[in-house]
Amino acid sequence: MKHNKLYLLLSLVVIASMTLAACGGVAATEPPAATEPAAPPATEPPAATEPAAPEFSGIAVVTFVQQPTTLSPLYAQQWFSTITTEFWLKSLWSFDPDNNPVPEIATEIPVPSEDGLTLTINLRDDVFWSDGEPVTANDFVFTYDMYMADSNIVGSRFPYEDYVESVEAPDDHTLVVNFTEPFAAWLVELFQYGVIPEHVLRPVFEADGTLDNAAWNTAPTVGVGPFVFSEWETDSHMIFEANPNWINPPKLEQVFIRMADDAAQEVAILAGDTDIGSFLDWSQADAINNSGVAQFVTQPSGYDEGWFLNFDPATAHPAMLEVNVRKAIVHATDRQKIVQDLLGGLTEVPVTFWDSTPPYGNPNLTPYAYDPEEANRLLDEAGWVDSNGDGTRDKEGTELVLRYIANQRQLRKDVQAVVQQMWAQVGIGVELVNYGDDYFNDYANGGPQATGQYDIAEYSSAGAFPDPEASYNWLCSDVVGADNPDGGNWQGYCNEELDALFNQQATETDPEARKELYYQIGEIMHNDVVWVGIWQDPDLWALSNRLQGVRFSGATPFWNAHEWTISE
Amino acid sequence: MVNYIIRRVIQAIPQLFLISLILFVLMQAFGDPIASLGVRTPPRPEDRERLRRQLGLDQPVYIQYLVWLAGNDWMKIDMDGDGVGETPGRRLGILRGDLGNSLINKRLVTELITERLPNTLLLMVTVEIVIIIISLFLGVYSAIRQYTLFDNIVTGLSFIGFSIPIPLIALLFMYLFSVNFKEWGLPHLPTVGMFDPEVGRTPGQIALHMVLPVLSLSIISIAGYSRYVRSSMLEVLGLDYVRTARAKGLREMVVVMRHALRNATLPFVTLIGLDIPFLLAGAVVTESIFAWPGTGRLFITHLTQSDFPVLMGILMMTGIAVVIFQLITDIAYSFLDPRIRIE
Amino acid sequence: MTSTAIPKTTVRKGMAESEIENPWRLAWRRFRRHKAAVAALAGMFTILAYIWLGGLFFSRGLCEPTGKYLTSEAYANCNDLAKKLQPPSREHPFGTDTIGRDILARTIYGGQISLTIGIFAAIVEVVVGVLIGAVAGYFGGWIDDVLMRITEAMLIIPSLFLLLVLSKALGGRVPPIDVLGRTFSGSVIVIILVIGFTSWTYLARIVRANVLSLKQLDFISASRALGVSDARIIFRHLLPNTMAPIIVSSTLGVSAAILSESYVSFLGLGVQTPTASWGNMLDTAVKYVQTAPWLWFFPGLFILLTVLCINFIGDGLRDALDPRSTKHI
Repeated sequence: MKHNKLYLLLSLVVIASMTLAACGGVAATEPPAATEPAAPPATEPPAATEPAAPEFSGIAVVTFVQQPTTLSPLYAQQWFSTITTEFWLKSLWSFDPDNNPVPEIATEIPVPSEDGLTLTINLRDDVFWSDGEPVTANDFVFTYDMYMADSNIVGSRFPYEDYVESVEAPDDHTLVVNFTEPFAAWLVELFQYGVIPEHVLRPVFEADGTLDNAAWNTAPTVGVGPFVFSEWETDSHMIFEANPNWINPPKLEQVFIRMADDAAQEVAILAGDTDIGSFLDWSQADAINNSGVAQFVTQPSGYDEGWFLNFDPATAHPAMLEVNVRKAIVHATDRQKIVQDLLGGLTEVPVTFWDSTPPYGNPNLTPYAYDPEEANRLLDEAGWVDSNGDGTRDKEGTELVLRYIANQRQLRKDVQAVVQQMWAQVGIGVELVNYGDDYFNDYANGGPQATGQYDIAEYSSAGAFPDPEASYNWLCSDVVGADNPDGGNWQGYCNEELDALFNQQATETDPEARKELYYQIGEIMHNDVVWVGIWQDPDLWALSNRLQGVRFSGATPFWNAHEWTISE
Repeated sequence: MVNYIIRRVIQAIPQLFLISLILFVLMQAFGDPIASLGVRTPPRPEDRERLRRQLGLDQPVYIQYLVWLAGNDWMKIDMDGDGVGETPGRRLGILRGDLGNSLINKRLVTELITERLPNTLLLMVTVEIVIIIISLFLGVYSAIRQYTLFDNIVTGLSFIGFSIPIPLIALLFMYLFSVNFKEWGLPHLPTVGMFDPEVGRTPGQIALHMVLPVLSLSIISIAGYSRYVRSSMLEVLGLDYVRTARAKGLREMVVVMRHALRNATLPFVTLIGLDIPFLLAGAVVTESIFAWPGTGRLFITHLTQSDFPVLMGILMMTGIAVVIFQLITDIAYSFLDPRIRIE
Repeated sequence: MTSTAIPKTTVRKGMAESEIENPWRLAWRRFRRHKAAVAALAGMFTILAYIWLGGLFFSRGLCEPTGKYLTSEAYANCNDLAKKLQPPSREHPFGTDTIGRDILARTIYGGQISLTIGIFAAIVEVVVGVLIGAVAGYFGGWIDDVLMRITEAMLIIPSLFLLLVLSKALGGRVPPIDVLGRTFSGSVIVIILVIGFTSWTYLARIVRANVLSLKQLDFISASRALGVSDARIIFRHLLPNTMAPIIVSSTLGVSAAILSESYVSFLGLGVQTPTASWGNMLDTAVKYVQTAPWLWFFPGLFILLTVLCINFIGDGLRDALDPRSTKHI
C-alpha cells in the first residue's frame, strides 16, 4: 500500500518535471509584450522598402559548438557571442572576405584628420532599430559611455580607455571620435561588436545603476541588422527572424542557431541537418568533403598556431637564450609533415606572426627547413653534445631537456608527442605538460606562462585582425616582472630595435608605411627566432550545398547574411 | 521528534559551513576565471586588472568568502580603480538566498541552476523509478529462487554492472543503438542532446533522447540495489514469522508479497532516500557524454572555467539536499518501522 | 549503509594456537569454495602478467619514422602519422590511435598506471580511514565527536564532486616525476592522493564501530589496567582483530579507485598525457564513437575486466574472512 503511494508520487514527479522541461524554456524566453517588435509603430520606415513587401523563404541552420555567453556587445568577449552580431546588431561597417571594410550604418569609410587625432563618421539617416526608432549618433555616444561607466563590468575597454579622448554627436547623423594619440587600428577596433539602443537601455541603466543584469543582454529584442532576435533557449537554440526594415533586407526567413557539441555537430552536418558548422577540427575535413551534402571551408582570421618561447634568463632553460639552439629546434621539427599528416595538408607553415593577416606577412622570408643534419651541426657547434651517453645532449652538466607546454586540446597533445619524437632524433629531450585554459593563461595565481615555468608554449594567437596590432606580446615595457605583474609580454623578450618598430607602427596611419614596418618586424623576429609558427590557423567551417551566397570573412564571418538563400 | 529534527539541523549547519569554507578555499587554487573569458585569446592585461577589481577577485580570500556568504551591501567597492571604494555593493550573499552571478556570463547562479535542474530531475527520477522496479523484481525473484540458474545469472550480471565504467557502457550503447542500428537500417536512437531542434522540444523527443542515458545509468545502479534487495529478502525469508505464515498454509505469493517483501524493503527505502541526492553527482559523467543539459554538465562546463560562484551554488544545493534527504529518510523510517523510535 | 560491529572469533593472544586451526588456512578454504572468486583470482593474475610482462612480448617493433627497432615503453610511445587511426590488424591487434601509436602497447603501460593508482589510492584510503576510525573509536569523547562530524561533513558532498574539485585545485601544479628511470606525469601522484582522501569515510566508520565494541572486551581493559600504551593497544590488539573488514574494503577500494580514476581522467582532470592510463585513453573517445571504436573499446574493456576480478575477489574475501557479514556490494 505505502509503496503504491510512493510510486504514484514518483510518477507524478516525473510527469511534472517532463512537462516542466518540455515547455519551461520556451516560456522563459518569451519576449516581453511591451517591446514586441512585430509592427514598427510611429516612425514609418523609408518608403523604398514598403511597396513590394519583401518575401522571405528558407531557414538556415547554423550549429555552434559552444554556447554564447551573452549577446550584449559590452560584455561579449567569447568568439561565439561576437559573431552573432552580424545577424542582428550591425555596426558602422563590416569586413568582406578580402578584409575590405563594407559600410553598414556609416555612409562611407571615413578618413582620419591629418594629425590622426580626429575621426568624423557620417551615419546613414535611413537606419532604424527593429522597433522603429531611428539609429543616431547618440546611440554610439551612449555605447561609449556604457563601456567606460565604472559600474558596468564590461569585457574590454580597448581601445576607449587607451586611445579615445571623447566621442561626440554634433548632430543625429554625425559621429566624431577624438583620439589622445594617432590610433592605427581604429578601423577594426571602433564599435567592433556593434552599438546598443539608448532608448531601450538608458532607462535600465538609470534604474539599476548598471547594465550588468539587463534583460536585453540575453534577450535583445531590439536590434539593428538583417535579422531580429526572437528567442534563445539555453543549450538548445537561438532564433533570429528576418527584419524587413534593414537597409539590405534578407532573403531568408529565419536563422536558427543550434547549440551542439562536436560529435553532434558532425552527425548533423553529414546528415544534411545543418547548413553551417562552426569551429571544426582538421580531422573532420575528409568526412565532410566526401559527404556530398557539405563542404569544408577555411577562412583566415589572423590566427597562427605557434610556439611562444621563454627568453627570461631567470626561468628559461639556458639553451633557449642561444639563437643557434632556437634555430636548431626549428630545423629539427618537420612542420610540413605535421601540416600534411595531422591537418590533411589544408594549411601552410607560417614564417611570421602576421602571415594570416594579409598584407602584413613578409613575403620575402621562407620558413626554416626541416633539416636534422643542420640541427645537429648547430647544436654541436653550440657545445650541446651528449657527453654522458644518455641519449640527450648536455653542456656543463645541464641536460638539454626543454619544458614544452600547451592546453588540453587533443590536437596540441598529439603535436607535442610527434615533436617529442622528432627532437629525440637530434638528442633534444622534452618534458610535456598540459594545463586547463584557465590556468594556462592565468597571470594572477601564478600560471605557468606568467611565472615562466616553461621553455616553449604552444597556442594559437592573432593580432587585432584584420589589424596586425599584437605588439604587447614582445614589447620591453610589457615584460612581466615584480614591478609590472600585469604585463602582457610573458616571453620576457626585449629587443630595442624591435621595440622602436612596434611603437612606430602603432601610430602610423598610412597603411603602406605600416606594412613596410611589419616586414621589418617580421624579418627581425624570424632571424632571431622569437616566435615559431607551426601552422596557419584559419577558421574552419562546414557549409552545406543548399545554402547559397555565404562568403565567410575572417573578421565578421556572417557579414553578408542578407544575401544568403536556400536552394532545394 | 521535533527535538530530533532541531538537533540534526543544528548539527548540519556547522558542517555545511565547514565544507563550504574548505571548498571555497580550494577553489582559490583553481586557475583564473578571467583568463578563460575570451576562449580564443585571454583578455589584455588592463582589462584583466579592471575585471578582477570589479568582480572583487583581488580581495583576500576571507573577504571573498564573507561576501559570498553574507553579501557586500554593507561595504563599498572600488569600481573605478582609484583605490578607494565608492560604489555600494549589491550582493546579498548565500545566507540571504543570493548565490551571486556567474563570472563568465554574468547571469544569476540561481537562474542558471533552476534552468537546468528540471532536466536533471527528469533524468534522475526516471532512472530512480527504473532502478527501483527492476532491482525489486530481480532481487525478490532471485531470493526466492536462490542458487537457481536465474539467480546465478543475475548475480553474475550484477557484478558486471557494478564493475563497468559509465563511459564504456555509454559509448557501447551509442555505438550499438545509434551508429550500428542506423547502418543496419533499423530504427535507431539519437546519440546526444535532449531533442532534435527540427522537431522541437516535444515530450516524445525528450523520451527518445532519454533512453540511452537512462539505460546506462540504471544498469550500473541496478546491480548494487538488486543484490541488496536479494540479501535482505533472504534474511527476512528465514525469519520465524515468515515460516509461521507459510505454516499457516498461505500461498507462497502472498507470503512473499505481503509478509516478506514489506519488511525486506524497509532498509531499501532508506538506501534509496540516502542515495537520491547523490544521483545528482552520478549524472556528471553521463550528462557529459550524452550532452544532456543538466546540472552535472553545468558543473563540468563551469569547472573548466573556474567559475566558482556557479560551482559553489551547485555544491551547496547538493549539500543541503543531502542533509534534507537524510532527515526525511530517518523520519520516514521511523514511521514505516514502528520498532524504530527517534529520540 | 549498515555498519557491522561483530566481535571477532579469531584467535586471541594467550591461547594455544595448536588447539585451533590456523585462521588463515581456514579462510583460504572458505575462499576456495567461492568459485567465482577463485576464477577472478586467476583472471587477476593473468591481467597482472599482461601488464607487467606483456611489455616484453607485445610492445616491440620497428618505429618507422625513427628507423629504429624499439622495445617496451619506447615502442608504446612511438608515433607514426602515416598509420594513424588504423583498425585492428595483425600488426596492431588493437588498432592505432590519432597519431599512429599502437593501442595494445599503450593498454599495457596505461594499465600499469591505472593499477598503480588503484593500489596506492587504496593504501592512502586504508591508512587515513583506519587511523581516524581507530582513534575516534578508542578515545571516544570529544575526539570521537570532532572526527565523526568531519567524516559526516565529507559525506555531505558527493565524492565525485569532491574528486573533481580537488583534482582541479591540485592538478597541473605537480611537475613530472622520475621513478625507476621512467617519467610520470605529476598528476599521477595528485590523483592517488585525491582518490585516497575522498574515499576513507566508509572504512573509518566500520573501524570505529569495531573498535568501539572490541574495547569493551576484558583483554583490552586488562591491557589498559596494566598501563600498556594507547598506541600499542590500538596497533597490537584492536586493529589485528578488525583485519577482516579492513582487508575486504581495501580490496574493493582498489577497484573503486580504478573506476574513479577513469571518471576523472575521462572528464579531463585526471592523469595527464603523455602518461597513458586506461581512463585518459577513454578521454577523447566520444569523438570517435562512430569512426574508431577501437580507441575506446579496449581500454574500457580492461577497466571492466580488472574491476570485475577485484570485486569478485573482494566478495570471496568477505565470505572467507567475515562470514557473518551480510553486506554485499
